Amino acid sequence: MMKKLLIVAIFLTLLAALPALVAESMLNVSVQMLIAALFATAFALLCGQAGMLSFGHAAYFGVGAFATVHAMNAFGGEGLLPTPLLPLVGALMGLVVGLGAGYFSTKRTGTYFAMITLALAELLHSLAPHMRGLFGGEAGISSFRMPAWGFEFGSITEVYYLVLFWTVLCIALLWGLTFTPFGRLVLGLRENTNRLQFLGYNTHVLGTLVFALSAAFTGVAGGLQAIHIEAANYVFLDAHISTAVLLNTFIGGAKVFFGPAIGAATMVFFGHITSDLTRSWLLYQGVIFILVMMYLPRGIVGETLACYRGKAGALSWMILLWRFAGVLVASTGFVLAVELIQRFFSTDYKAERMADGWPSISFAGFDWAPFALGTWGLPLVLITAGIGLIIYINRRGAGQQEART
Amino acid sequence: MSRDTLVIERLNKSFDEVQVTHDVNLALREGERHALIGPNGAGKSTLFHLISGHYKPTSGSIRLDGKEIGGMDPASVNRRGIARSFQINNIFAGLSVFENLRLAVMRRHGLQFNFWRRVSQLRQVNEEASDLLQKIRLTAKANAVAGDLPYSDQRSLEIGMTLASDPKVILLDEPMAGMSHEESDYTTGLIREITQGRTLVIVEHDMDVIFALADRITVLVYGEVVATGTPQEIRESARVKEAYLGEEA
Repeated sequence: MMKKLLIVAIFLTLLAALPALVAESMLNVSVQMLIAALFATAFALLCGQAGMLSFGHAAYFGVGAFATVHAMNAFGGEGLLPTPLLPLVGALMGLVVGLGAGYFSTKRTGTYFAMITLALAELLHSLAPHMRGLFGGEAGISSFRMPAWGFEFGSITEVYYLVLFWTVLCIALLWGLTFTPFGRLVLGLRENTNRLQFLGYNTHVLGTLVFALSAAFTGVAGGLQAIHIEAANYVFLDAHISTAVLLNTFIGGAKVFFGPAIGAATMVFFGHITSDLTRSWLLYQGVIFILVMMYLPRGIVGETLACYRGKAGALSWMILLWRFAGVLVASTGFVLAVELIQRFFSTDYKAERMADGWPSISFAGFDWAPFALGTWGLPLVLITAGIGLIIYINRRGAGQQEART
Repeated sequence: MSRDTLVIERLNKSFDEVQVTHDVNLALREGERHALIGPNGAGKSTLFHLISGHYKPTSGSIRLDGKEIGGMDPASVNRRGIARSFQINNIFAGLSVFENLRLAVMRRHGLQFNFWRRVSQLRQVNEEASDLLQKIRLTAKANAVAGDLPYSDQRSLEIGMTLASDPKVILLDEPMAGMSHEESDYTTGLIREITQGRTLVIVEHDMDVIFALADRITVLVYGEVVATGTPQEIRESARVKEAYLGEEA
């Protein structure tokens, strides 16, 4: 426990010192990472701890954001609450809508539950553009952050601290919740709802409450996003928001408390880096998700913890290092292939082709002739070599294990 | 003679056209150990499901101390003092053994929607969970993941969880299934001990266990009560022999 707290303390100090360490553009990304981390942690309360997979959490993110924007614009722009307290409006709205949606959706479990959450979110998403007063139509609603308590909230640094405060507070509350009787019952809900009933618990009320709490904290994340970009529009309610939080949660590890937050922050950072470099970044994100689900089903953080606690069997550093090398080689090949294919089929290249036959594709400082064996052979060789290396290492590792026992 | 506690009258249950429970009448005396026996498919588990609120009766009444409980949901039945175990292990497989018992104990202390206390500091609850752990001989495995336990240990845990709500009436559905002789003997003793001052209904196939435990026995065949009586009476009953032999031959 002491060790855990020490790690948290060091991490928090780093976060607090961040504005002094990085450039403004990076601080902007950090705000996005914090919001995504809170969103994923709130989502994981429902999906990881209570075992109820929601496909429509964009609804509560959006509802929180719109409520916050309306609160910012209240009283002719004076604001319903001082700027630092505005996320409370998002929380309250998330809670109220979550209670309603949770009441209905938790009457069912599994696939049916997921379908109801999806349907509710899509309903809101398709209604929103038609409701000008509430959601500002397709353009959305914009606003301004008002100065409060001696802060201007004009610079990204001030926004960063505001977001950091709320994110840390909310994640701390959610962490604390896991140690309470309610928090433990939530785990029971995931493991065996039926048995909880026979032990005398009202599982429907329990489920509705978990849903509402998850929606409330998601509403805070939505509110922070609205404060950050000083606007909200119906894209906040889009299914891709619901999907992103789900992918982030599972990539990090839905069943370990800090997994979703770390997964979300990592993926936002990854998106920021790669979206500048390549148009195929969503494809890479998807491939990463599939690979994590196939080979690291507990998520990145979950698997790391399992290794650390020795639950994943004996692992030597050498094997891990070789595996990593294999992944690196195969990824290089894969990225090379994707980038070449993407360029080969791009409209730019089509125009060039029309002008002067089949010119070379330039990528990574080299010219790649479109029909040369090496152009397609190299990525293929790299992919095969990388995967081959991993398979070889795994077989040898398994052989050694067998020889020992 | 003590008074009746759980009284079942003219209880019927049908699934579509199939009637699985036929005009069942049963009166349990307070503090007795009552065994339900009968061939496979006789409706023993169905009767448990009806009493515990898992199924709703088609007609008839189930009363606990004079109050109707037929058709109530499982949580309400449990809170009125009836707890059950399951024929197939029904535990929180992904949680630790101790956590399983703690969840079972918490309800009685009114700890459902509590967001502010730490479970590790609930002394009374943790002590009771530890006591139960000791009773079912799983103290050494307190921190093991329940789903990783051997089958017979999971059976013991099942009994421990049933006991946790301190019920007036305990329904045990084949608690000894899959246990070794030694474990079965221990569990028989355990059940005798924990049902001290409570009313027990037990479904079990092992006749040695039945005759060692039961004060009275009810024989169920094709959803109907064929006989109720002391072990001695049941052993000598011609109707029971006929019903059993007819089935098993």
